[in-house]
Amino acid sequence: MTNEAIIELKNIDVTFHNKGQTVNAVKDVSLTVNRGDIYGVVGYSGAGKSTLVRVINRLQPPTAGTVVVNGQDILHLTPRKLRAARTKIGMIFQHFNLMDSRTIADNVGYPLRFRLSKKNRQEKVAHLLELVGLSEKANDYPAQLSGGQKQRVAIARALANDPEILISDEATSALDPKTTSSILELLKRLNRELGLTVVLITHEMEAVKEICNKVAVMESGEIIERGDLVSIFSRPQKPLTRDFINTATQINQALEKIYKQASALNLNDHQQLVQLQYVGASTDAPLITELYKRYDVVSNILYGNVEILQDTPLGNLIVVMSGEPDKLQDAWQYCQDAGIKITHLKPTDSEVA
Amino acid sequence: MSWFAKYFPNAVTMKSDFIQATGETLYMTLITAVVAGILGMIIGVGLIVTQPGGILENRVIYNIFDKIVNLCRSIPFVILLAVIAPLTRVIVGTAIGTTAAIVPLVIGSAPFYARQIQNALAEVDHGVIEAAESVGSGPMGIIFRVYLKEGLADIIRSSVLTLISLIDLTAMAGAIGGGGLGNLAINVGYSRFETDVTVLAMLIILVIVFAIQLVGDLLARRVDHTA
Repeated sequence: MTNEAIIELKNIDVTFHNKGQTVNAVKDVSLTVNRGDIYGVVGYSGAGKSTLVRVINRLQPPTAGTVVVNGQDILHLTPRKLRAARTKIGMIFQHFNLMDSRTIADNVGYPLRFRLSKKNRQEKVAHLLELVGLSEKANDYPAQLSGGQKQRVAIARALANDPEILISDEATSALDPKTTSSILELLKRLNRELGLTVVLITHEMEAVKEICNKVAVMESGEIIERGDLVSIFSRPQKPLTRDFINTATQINQALEKIYKQASALNLNDHQQLVQLQYVGASTDAPLITELYKRYDVVSNILYGNVEILQDTPLGNLIVVMSGEPDKLQDAWQYCQDAGIKITHLKPTDSEVA
Repeated sequence: MSWFAKYFPNAVTMKSDFIQATGETLYMTLITAVVAGILGMIIGVGLIVTQPGGILENRVIYNIFDKIVNLCRSIPFVILLAVIAPLTRVIVGTAIGTTAAIVPLVIGSAPFYARQIQNALAEVDHGVIEAAESVGSGPMGIIFRVYLKEGLADIIRSSVLTLISLIDLTAMAGAIGGGGLGNLAINVGYSRFETDVTVLAMLIILVIVFAIQLVGDLLARRVDHTA
């Protein structure tokens, strides 16, 4: 992860005109991706994320703005030069987009025709299939493969031209969770071993959480929040970002259940329902014990979750704290001093921090 | 062959007429298939790539192709035979005879084939085209290595359909002296009340049609790997 920009989108606008209606799919978006990044772009469908990344290889020409990839101004290339530039930008898709009439080997070798001799092509295809773990499927047709296998073939095809960038357009959205993990794992490996820069579009924060080092959140054609993964996850600013994160950490579901049982908890003046969030080193201190020892505050853990993001632990606890009211105040102060974020929850609130 | 003589009393004496008529039908079908096949393929591919959202989007060319195809398909074939006689004379030197019939046959079937090709290629998934573009394929690469390859099974099926409708058209070629099995069935069989001649001409046409259908289905199944 150097600081050398490999993709620079500046002030991109994409406007569609359809039957007298004007749709601003992307509005004045600037985005810089550095070499070696795995950059996640999240948003609900219709947010404009696919349109935005299609601008990178000019599958979608922007209405306004500049696109520089690898130092090349993509928007002012001749058709021939554009095709050459596209070979350095691999792309995979939600529906795999393999050619049904070609074998797996032919699909992977498709970009190499006219570029390599037959013998070199066969060697390269064999190597690529080995890389994605599908060597034995070389002579099968796409219809005989599972979704995850098809996506691996698509990845091998996207890598055939030795690209420096891989754009993944909802590539895991049509796959089951286990297959999704294995595809993400493969992308991460390619990033590490080949130095491949990855731009990952998804509506699932789980995918971002697993492999991205940076993330941008899109809503109605604009990037509303961006930053490195850990800071976005630990200090989200916008409600939509919080919503995505809470879904990913499953804290929303947990709270819903807790609120349903809230009456059963029978909270009184000496008890408080709080959410504790902590990042990195502060997870190491034995917090719960410390609170009891110092302030006689008993914490009953209702839900706990620790994410390891980019080697940084990020914890979430929902607890009921019981103790004397003034002791409780002291306990919360202690937590805050230790760098732990405290949110007081009321069972009537539907929103969580 | 006594049963044949019994049921086809007139036809059995007309062996050479049947051989000649079958030859004429096959000749007209074959030459037209090649010429109309090439023309229809070019127009069909032209329609697909220049259509709105196509890889070489071009409203003017698309509209010209589209209107020509619609116009030619609107003229009843029997009338087309007569109407384009002057053009036929320019191209083949005469307006009557088997070879002369090929000109209206081409004009009658090429637009039909073009539409069939257009429909077959429209079935090719746009995402696959996009994937080919994303690895650096140009328009020619996409036409020959994606559209025609991915659409091959449907192209074969459309070709069978066009060939069969072409045989249908050759049956009308008798109207301008083109000969063929259709001519034999009507001008000999029907006019002279020799029903067996009509029936035999029909049976031969059926055999040709079934043979084309069979071969086409086999080929289409061989290149189709979608399931």
